[in-house]
This record gives sequence, structure tokens and C-alpha cells, in this order.
Amino acid sequence: MPETTMIDAPETRVVKRTLKVPLNRVEGDLEIRVELDDDCVSDAWSTGTMFRGFENILRGRGALDGLVITPRVCGICGTAHLTAAAKALDAISQTPPPANAVRIRNLALMTEHIQSDVRHGLLMFMADFANPAYRGHPLYEEALRRFEPFKGEAVIEAIRETKELLEIVAILGGQWPHSSYMVPGGVVATPSLADLLQCRHLLAKHQAWYERRILGCPVERWLEVDSAADLETWLEEDSHRNSDLGFFIRFARRIGLEKIGRGPQNFISYGCLDIPADSQVRGRRNEVTDQLVPAGFARGTDVGPFEQARITEHVYHSWFEDYGGGRHPFEGETRPRPPETDDHKYSWAKAPRYDGLPAETGPLAEMIISGNPLFTDLVGRGGANVFVRELARLVRPAELMPAMRQWLAETDCEGTFYISAPRISDGEGFGLTEATRGALGHWVKIADQKIQHYQIVTPTAWHASPRDSNGVRGAWEEALIGTTVQDPANPVELGHVVRSFDACLVCTVHAVKGGRSVSRRTL
Amino acid sequence: MKRIICIGNRYRFCDAAGPMVYDLLARRDLLPEVELVDGGLAGLDLLRFVQGARRVVFVDAVVGFDEADGVFVLNADEAAVCAEAAFDHAAGLAYLLRVLPQVLDGQLPEVLLVGIQGEPNDSAVETAAELSLSLAVEGGARGFLGHVDLSGVRG
Repeated sequence: MPETTMIDAPETRVVKRTLKVPLNRVEGDLEIRVELDDDCVSDAWSTGTMFRGFENILRGRGALDGLVITPRVCGICGTAHLTAAAKALDAISQTPPPANAVRIRNLALMTEHIQSDVRHGLLMFMADFANPAYRGHPLYEEALRRFEPFKGEAVIEAIRETKELLEIVAILGGQWPHSSYMVPGGVVATPSLADLLQCRHLLAKHQAWYERRILGCPVERWLEVDSAADLETWLEEDSHRNSDLGFFIRFARRIGLEKIGRGPQNFISYGCLDIPADSQVRGRRNEVTDQLVPAGFARGTDVGPFEQARITEHVYHSWFEDYGGGRHPFEGETRPRPPETDDHKYSWAKAPRYDGLPAETGPLAEMIISGNPLFTDLVGRGGANVFVRELARLVRPAELMPAMRQWLAETDCEGTFYISAPRISDGEGFGLTEATRGALGHWVKIADQKIQHYQIVTPTAWHASPRDSNGVRGAWEEALIGTTVQDPANPVELGHVVRSFDACLVCTVHAVKGGRSVSRRTL
Repeated sequence: MKRIICIGNRYRFCDAAGPMVYDLLARRDLLPEVELVDGGLAGLDLLRFVQGARRVVFVDAVVGFDEADGVFVLNADEAAVCAEAAFDHAAGLAYLLRVLPQVLDGQLPEVLLVGIQGEPNDSAVETAAELSLSLAVEGGARGFLGHVDLSGVRG
């Protein structure tokens, strides 16, 4: 039950209330505090309630230790952290990995994305469609049948199907999660032909299920949907309407998810999935490009180039020692300063900014920055919102699986997977990639063969960001503004907004609270 | 095959009980029929390790089972009731056990949980390791279920 405080403001005849909403089904600990004018959110504060301090754990350790420690930042996106750590060391050692190693790295990262996208959509986001708030809704019984926790048919199928998919990472990398097989110069294992065939089988099996259950059509048919008008035409087919994606669209429209959760309307992607020079994989418009998912920064649908030097992190409202304004991650610090009474600080998350601006990242940002015509059209019409953000996540696997098939076919098990890298010299480098939830960067300085400096900026740091030094709200603080809450005791609308960003606080907050909370107990 | 799956986060002392038991058992010669798994933070993805096993013993840190610290042994049903109503990124063991009968291919193995509540000191870790081995070999039908009080024993 949320804590509610009534504040009368008779001069405006508006009832002001403050609502504290501890959100479940986000990784780690997150508390959202909103101010309501009548039933509408007029202000919001996002609080990460745990300190982690991986940056401090890494300082003083061996130059390669980030490859082992950072995949343990998160149990969900360890491959993304490994990718960022390895790319930073690739840069410092000036040893680019060979084409086969690039393919293996890509395949592992894409597998992680696909599994996470499906689980988030079917197990986390759409669990809210089965919330009692929607009892009496014409589609509620169908929502229960599909998404009721522990027994919905989509829930059970999603667990059954996704449990096998990550075997691809285990086959290519030796284990999952917390794998450490990417190293400066490539990857440490050479897959056999049997390994590659097994990966192809696992991918084909998953794609067949994804097409049957989620899309209701072949991937190729979905990729023909290039505009809002195309989406309406696509939805007319029974098999499409009755798929989980079709149901999501129908239910989301009925409850108005396209009207809430706008956010800052700035989008950032660091880019990922480098395309080897000899690969047949092409971009969305069949163009030759360096990365399948391009880097960029967009204001609305106006896409511009991305330069990592423009990233800063602010800590004025975070529980860290102030350093004034924002600092680039190479100059950033992680010096915790525990909460004090009457503190203007209110979160363990820092506040990342690009050119001084907050931004959202993740599948929707990737779609806009890559010029995906459907999402460019949808966002061009109504801006970002909960509906279009979750739609992008549900269909991202369709964008990735064709390239995965191609890279599995192109991988030459007799080829080179590792180039001997020199000892890591003193220097600095950064590794940028796209984790499942969006832009992830590691900034590393090495001195005397040891890590002198390590800063990690996660996608959820972009989203869960508190206000910056200029008082500008973070992404989902901004996204919550204007949301109408029908029942403060069950603010399901706030959950829709925050979960549309696929919140993952373990990455974001820089700590530790005992155990994993499970009902009244902790396991 | 019988498996001991130790889970938790070795970088967080309060959640490090499972990895500490893993480290202890990894130094021993185990029976060939017993496989030791470092489950880390894998959560729902541990399903692949449960599948195909005859018996699975999870080892993990627990909180709130009793006023006194100690080592607890629970069966799958007892642990599963702790699962919250929906999945999250940190759904963990309880969620896995709750959905296990519906999502596992093949025969459902006997599943037990050795939980360490309180500080994972030497005696707690050793007790949990011994219990895990015994349970993996003998199963839970030999009177192990319950609370092993460590109040008089400190590592």
C-alpha cells in the first residue's frame, strides 16, 4: 500500500498529494515518489536505494580483472558488461578482434537481448494487464489467460522457450551468466562445427516459437510493416490480432498507453554489433554499415551523430560527494556520501547527460536512430510513449534474428578467433555497446598494469537518473509527468510508465541490500 | 545425476553463503554421481541445471525463517510459497521452484534447499556443505528437514 499524504491547497482548489510507490518487478530497489494534483502527476522523483560501488571494487586490481568482475554487475546482462569491458581493453591494447571473434561476440550479445526482450514483455510488462485494476475490462479475462503470474499460457511458454536460448552463450562462451570468454584480441574458445549447428538449431527453434506465439507471422512479414498505416493493415489478420503482439496492441490502446510516458523525447544509442568487413549482413535499408545497431543522438526523430566526449555524469542530487556540474566518465568519481536529514540528494543513481540533456535509451532509441520507418513514423506522430516503447522491445528480436542466422552461417570454425594481444600497456580506453536496456559504457584507465580508474554508465542510469545540477529531471521522472492515477492504492499506471523502460536497478544504483526480497521472507 | 547448486553473490557478504559452500565443496573429492554447480545469480536460468537431474540441492542465503540464525532445510514446496506474484529480474529461486512443475521437460527431480540464515561463518558454511552432500546422496526423507541451530557454535 503506498504511503499517501494529503496536502490541501484551497487557493487553487486542487488537492495535492504525495505518493510513495515502491515498485516491484524492477531489478534491485527503486522508489518512485510522485506529487499528484488531483489525480494527475505534477512532479516525480526517482530514487535508487542501494549503493554498489563496482567502480571502487575495480580500482587497484589487475588490468584484465574487469573481464571477470563486471559481468557480475548484473545477472541479466553480463554479456553486455563483458562486451564493454573487452572493447575498452581492445582499445587500450590496440588489438581489434578478428572477424570470427566479432561474430561470436555479437551472437552472444544478441542472444541475451532476445531472451530478455521476450521475458520482459510477457513476464513483467504484461503482468500488469492482469492487474485487478482492469477487472471488468472487456479484454481482462483474455489478459488473465495469457499473462496471469505463474499460470498464464504466455508466461509458461515464455519460460519454457527462453530457458534453452541462452545455451547459445554457454556453447560459444563456456558459461552463462557471468561469462568471461571475451578478451583483448578476440575470444578464448573456438567453436566446432557441431557447436555452430547446435546454435543454429536453438535459434531456429526459438524463432519458430517467437513467430507462432508473439508475432503470429513470419519475421519477414513483420519486417514489411513500415508505417502506422501498415501496422493497422497488419492488425487486420486474425493470426496477427490473436498473437501476443496483437493482443498487446489491442489492450494497450484500450487503456491509453499511447497517451502516457512521453519522457524527455531525446534518444541515445552508443551503437553495437560491429559488422565484419567480409560479412553479408547489411543495415535496415540494405546499406553497408559498420554496426547493425548504429550510434546516434536524436531529438525527437531528428537524428545526429554521437560523440562519447559529450557524455557527463552529475551527482548534485545523488548521494555522492559533489564535484560541481557534470563530469565526463574519464574524470568521474564514485565517492559515496550517505543520506543526511533535509538532504537535496535523493538517489544512489547518478545523472548521465548528453550535451547536458537527459535521454532515453533502449530498443525505441535504437529504432529511431537506425531510421526504422515504423518507429520513426509512430514517434513522429505522437512522440515517445509507453505503447511505442514497449512495442519496440517486443519486436526487436525480429530485427536481430536474421543477422544472427547469417553470422552463424558465416562463422568459420577453421578460422582465427584470437590474435595474441600485447600486455596491456598504460593508457585509457572506453568500451561502448548496447545492453538489452540500452546504452552501456565502461571508461577505463590503466597505470602500472593496474586499473587506476573505472567508470560504468548503465542504461538504467540514463533512465533512473535523478535531477542534474541544473534541476532537470531524469528520463522516467519526466515520463511520469501528466500520468493520471485512478487509484492511489493501486497505481498501475505508474508501473506501466516505469516498466516500459525495462528498469534494472541492480545495474544502476551503485549497492547492497541483503538477499533477494521474496514476499515476507528473503531468499 | 544429483546436483548441488550453490547460488548467491560472492561480492556481497550477506548473500555469499552459497558461493562459500561452493568453494568449500569444490576442494573436495565428490562422489561421481554428485555434480557441483556454481549457480551465481542465474535465477530462472538455473532451470537447465534442474532438468535431467534425479535430485537437486540448492544452497543459498535466506532471511526470515526463524528468529535464530542457523542452517535450514526446506523442500521445494516450502520454498516456492515465498515467490511473489510476478516475475522480475531478480525473481530468484522461489520463482523458479514455483513454476518448475509446469516448465520442466522430463521427470521432476526431488528438490531441496539448504538455507543459511545469518552470517555465513565457518561453522555455518561447513554445516551447510555437509548437509548438502548428505541430502544430495540420501535425499530429504531421512529426517534432515528443519532447522540446525548454530547458536552454540561460532566459526
